[in-house]
Amino acid sequence: MAENSIKNLYQESDYPDLRPEEFELAHVGKRIHDVNFEGEATGFFKEAFRRFCRNKAALVSFWMICIIVIMAIVGPSMSGFTYRQQNPLRTNMPPRVPVLENLGIFDGRMVLTNRRADSISDPEKYPEGCIYRVFNQTTVRGVEMCSVEVDYYKYVGAEDEYYWFGTDNFGRDLWTRLWRGSRISLIIAVVSVLTNVVIGLIYGSIAGYYGGWVDMVMMRICEIITALPQVVVVTMFILMFGTGMQSLILALVVRGWVGTARMIRAQFLRFRGREYVLAAEAFGVPEYAQIFRHILPNAIGPVITQTMMAVPGAIFTESFLAFIGLGLAPPEPSIGVLLSNGQQVLMQYPFQTLFPALLISVLMIAFNLMGNGLRDAFDPTQRGQE
Amino acid sequence: MMENKAPLLEVEHLKMTFTSGKGKKKVVVNAIDDNSFNVYEGETFGLVGESGCGKTTTGRSIVRLYHPTGGTMRFDGQDISGPMTRELRHFLSDNIAMVFQDPVDSLNPRMTVMEIVEEGLKYRGMKNAAERRELVYDMLDKVGLTREHASRYPHEFSGGQRQRIGIARALVVKPKLIIADEPVSALDVSIQAQIINLLNELKEELGLTIIFIAHDLSVVKYFSTRVAVMYRGKIVEMAPSKDLYRNPVHPYTISLLSSVPQPDPTYERSRKSISYDIVADHIEMPDEERKMHEIWPEHFVYCNSKELERYQQKQRP
Ligand SMILES: Nc1ncnc2c1ncn2[C@@H]1O[C@H](COP(=O)(O)OP(=O)(O)O)[C@@H](O)[C@H]1O
Ligand SMILES: [Mg+2]
Repeated sequence: MAENSIKNLYQESDYPDLRPEEFELAHVGKRIHDVNFEGEATGFFKEAFRRFCRNKAALVSFWMICIIVIMAIVGPSMSGFTYRQQNPLRTNMPPRVPVLENLGIFDGRMVLTNRRADSISDPEKYPEGCIYRVFNQTTVRGVEMCSVEVDYYKYVGAEDEYYWFGTDNFGRDLWTRLWRGSRISLIIAVVSVLTNVVIGLIYGSIAGYYGGWVDMVMMRICEIITALPQVVVVTMFILMFGTGMQSLILALVVRGWVGTARMIRAQFLRFRGREYVLAAEAFGVPEYAQIFRHILPNAIGPVITQTMMAVPGAIFTESFLAFIGLGLAPPEPSIGVLLSNGQQVLMQYPFQTLFPALLISVLMIAFNLMGNGLRDAFDPTQRGQE
Repeated sequence: MMENKAPLLEVEHLKMTFTSGKGKKKVVVNAIDDNSFNVYEGETFGLVGESGCGKTTTGRSIVRLYHPTGGTMRFDGQDISGPMTRELRHFLSDNIAMVFQDPVDSLNPRMTVMEIVEEGLKYRGMKNAAERRELVYDMLDKVGLTREHASRYPHEFSGGQRQRIGIARALVVKPKLIIADEPVSALDVSIQAQIINLLNELKEELGLTIIFIAHDLSVVKYFSTRVAVMYRGKIVEMAPSKDLYRNPVHPYTISLLSSVPQPDPTYERSRKSISYDIVADHIEMPDEERKMHEIWPEHFVYCNSKELERYQQKQRP
């Protein structure tokens, strides 16, 4: 039947040189039958996961972040000290770690400067065997002075105690405080970033999907919000709600969501006019399903990437705020608070700054590398761009 | 033959204007410029014209993806040009389905073939998943795909296969009218024939009416019952397919036909492309308004009275 209708359309007069029997229409009446594909069906996210796993730096970063998160959870309860327990007899202790001390590092040694040379042989002051060496002997106004390198733990009579990362000037264990601090910094960062994403996702979706004057008004509101200076906003929140996690999170959210909203809106504008979204509309798919089934799954890659990249930004902002004195109320630590405290005694006790600085550096690098890895996994054409 | 049948789709004075910018930078594009045509049940209505002449806009206006700035449209006697309501969208999606031009862009890359094809059923009240799946498998089989393909993602398919998925998606909702927007222009020539024949066979089998959009007359030639030629948003000539090919009247149609290659080397060697010049080809009374005139039965041409006289002098061979 179908074959006939096509044959009828063929007009002999069109091709006078061709005899009808020489004329054959291609593909007519043939049943098309495709063969099955080999292998497994690979969806987009599966494919992205595979690409991510091939990226060594991103994978290492991922595991680094995992380790830090696990430490942030279990670390504070490992050393037996609490983050707020003060001990005036154990202030500013250097780090001492059980096995490593035999290798000559983290063995609790410290240099004491400007000591009277005559007191060195006094066992009351310098217990038996605590002195490694004496150097830098000078005479100041007729008094002989020197520097002494001692085993500080023996020096204060705490031979059996181990403060793995040392203590601060209140005698609080820095290991416990560092992991508790990173726990709090991570919570502040993750909660604020997630809140930003949720608000930005909803706001940006509405602006991008409906467009027109809705979009116009919503984007102008965004511009007004971004015009507020961050430090002023934070100071206001701290004045209103006091120094606590909520006010820091709120301060990070107030301006933070605008970036996500803008990006989501751009993604929506990009995907809204795609033929498959139009097709869905033409097939009677309701608006919510167009958004959740068609636009969002395609737009989500950059959102995940940007979320990942926003975490170190939030950690850094929190630290910066703590550093200028707008941080958490003591005794609660955060990476920023520890850095800020450590910086005050940087010259005498550099290790108090060293560990939080190392941790924040590792976190920043790891989150950024992982974000890059995710971006490349979701959109391989962007590889190598920063 | 056509007169005694009620038209399935009636389009009257359809207008679509896109504006962008404001004030001095305001740009107005008349994508569709007052077109009227009917599509009768069971026919294949070809819509031909160069790129940018408004074919896609016409198709999308009919399914109301665009909201036309003027004119009325009726489907099966029911007005479909009113304000967009849920009922209207349901009526439209029950009766009219589209096959899109771009085989890459028209299938959501995050969805499996099953999800893509069943979507139209799902949001039209067919809640039973197993029933839906059976219909999809049936449809996939009709377009030459297998059950196993249903769990695959679009990027694994070739262009022709994707277009067949698009056809399955359109047909699974059992529409009366299919609007195929250049369904083959992105495909290899060998695959074009396959898709066109498939559409044709399915049309016979399912009793469909098709609006077939193409930028190339040769594609429409064997396929359409009637053909409308569009130029800059305006239908300039509309006639039964054979009539149009044998006796083209409007200079634009003639120039379009002259650019169709023939499988005949001697003809091809001497083939001259006639180009269309919108000023020189219409020197008669340029001030008089042009209208659609029925120059021969069912053969319409857009011209003024002087041009009509000239066109009529050409003897119908
Ligand atoms: N969304 C739009 N906004 C502005 N102009 C448009 C839009 N869609 C189409 N146009 C314009 O309308 C005209 C017709 O376009 P279209 O219908 O896509 O042509 P065709 O499908 O025949 O190639 C073109 O000049 C195009 O630039
Ligand atoms: Mg088009």
